[in-house]
Amino acid sequence: MRHRPSCIRSYHPYKHESNSSPFNPTEEAVLAASLRHVPTHGFTNASLSLGAREVGYLDITVNLFPRGVFDLVNYHLVTKRLALKKLLDIQAAKDDGGALTGLGIGARVRFLTLERLMANRPIIHRWQEALAIMAQPSYVPASIAELARLSDEIWFLAGDTSVDSSWYTKRASLSMIYSSTELFMTQDKSKAFAGTQKFLDRRFEDVRVVGRGISNIGNYLDYTAHSFINVLRSKGAKI
Amino acid sequence: MASKTVWRTLQPRIPTPIRSQNAYRCFSCAVRHAQKEEQPSERTTSFGFETVAESIKQSKVSSVFTSVAPSYDTMNDLMSLTIHRHWKRQFVQLLDPGTPRGARPQTILDIAGGTGDIAFRLLDHATDLHADHASRVLVADINPAMLAAGRARAARSRYRDSGRLSFLEANAEDLRAAGVADASVDLYTTAFGPRNFTSLAAALREAYRVLKPGGVFAMLEFAKVGNPAFNRLYKMWSFGVIPLMGQVVAGDRESYAYLVESVERWKSQEEVAELVREAGFLVPGEKGWVDFTGGVVAVHRGVKP
Repeated sequence: MRHRPSCIRSYHPYKHESNSSPFNPTEEAVLAASLRHVPTHGFTNASLSLGAREVGYLDITVNLFPRGVFDLVNYHLVTKRLALKKLLDIQAAKDDGGALTGLGIGARVRFLTLERLMANRPIIHRWQEALAIMAQPSYVPASIAELARLSDEIWFLAGDTSVDSSWYTKRASLSMIYSSTELFMTQDKSKAFAGTQKFLDRRFEDVRVVGRGISNIGNYLDYTAHSFINVLRSKGAKI
Repeated sequence: MASKTVWRTLQPRIPTPIRSQNAYRCFSCAVRHAQKEEQPSERTTSFGFETVAESIKQSKVSSVFTSVAPSYDTMNDLMSLTIHRHWKRQFVQLLDPGTPRGARPQTILDIAGGTGDIAFRLLDHATDLHADHASRVLVADINPAMLAAGRARAARSRYRDSGRLSFLEANAEDLRAAGVADASVDLYTTAFGPRNFTSLAAALREAYRVLKPGGVFAMLEFAKVGNPAFNRLYKMWSFGVIPLMGQVVAGDRESYAYLVESVERWKSQEEVAELVREAGFLVPGEKGWVDFTGGVVAVHRGVKP
């Protein structure tokens, strides 16, 4: 179910990991159907059961997902990440070269990040539930790993081939930009998410200014720590 | 030097069989081992530390369980220091049986579930957590004495007249003979049963046959402990204390020595997961099983695609 890197080089994925789906056909069918129930039923076991029933399986079939609802969240993350590659292929197949013709790496990164954010549109009103699940201690490592894979995918698809130390900082800062913009988006009530686009542009502007990234880390960690404590409180911990 | 003697009795003597045919039996002991001669040409399987012909294992296991049935639940509490209750509860929680109102009720088949230990827990979970008053459990066991104990318990339970609990004498490796149809079961459970099957692969094939597409095979069984220090303690307990307890409490050392030996001879988690895969099941997660208490027992699950 999980990805394994196709190479163990730690500096640059010259050979990018394969884009084939890590889900087997049964998992794929159940999870895809379940995801369609998320706008109404949220990231819950009910969505999973309904999805299983819809494709002709049983309520009990959700035993296939040992991490329960987190597997549904993970499916959303993985499939939307893989969809970026397909999106680029479609753009490249167009006669005029698509929306990305003549764009620099920076602009391509912005384009892809925005596309990925917009893929959250149908379920954005439920996304805070997913964030709460991802913040549960046992799922934090998997969630962070998936975020890292997303920013790696975006830089790779944008055509970045640098092999210096900026390999790490680029990915770290994009991860921060992405996760903070995603949080902003859950609260964004503006038309066609214009507020989110502006927010995203301001974050890209931020990292261009040396040193601003550091404060972002601080803010992000601060926010995450607070959310984490709030999640614990919501579970009944007396903090 | 009394402490030294006690220490010696506690030492696991794993490589050498601790049971001989002439071992002491107290008069309340009911084990009647089959006295057939082994045919060298026959296929063999394990019975505790002994290797016996496949055709004999069934009757030997049967005599053990006829012997232990009356004191089975008490002995489980003593042998596992009541931890078996937690294992069974966790097992049921993991499977989450029961369907919400309006959904199709489930048919659950509990194999080797004689005394109904798992069946009652499955029904309680479905009823209390999902308000599901329609899902049914069919308890199957090869041993009539174990089933009698289960029936007696059912007559005292709240499921007495609900028609949700039924009992069936059946061999896990041939459920067709007992009338279990193809693709008729939502959830197949077995707790501490597979160790006593003559062939787990044959039982898995039958499970695959009777399950509906999307149905779940789940088994709770002893496994291998990973931590060597804990393993040493665990072996001391199982080889030193459990047969002694069987002798004192149930008046039957041999049957409990068999239980311990069959645990020792049982497959590792990896081997079982491989068999589940070979039977055609989809195995959830990366490993395909969940360890309880450091691997003393493990839950293996498979989903029929």
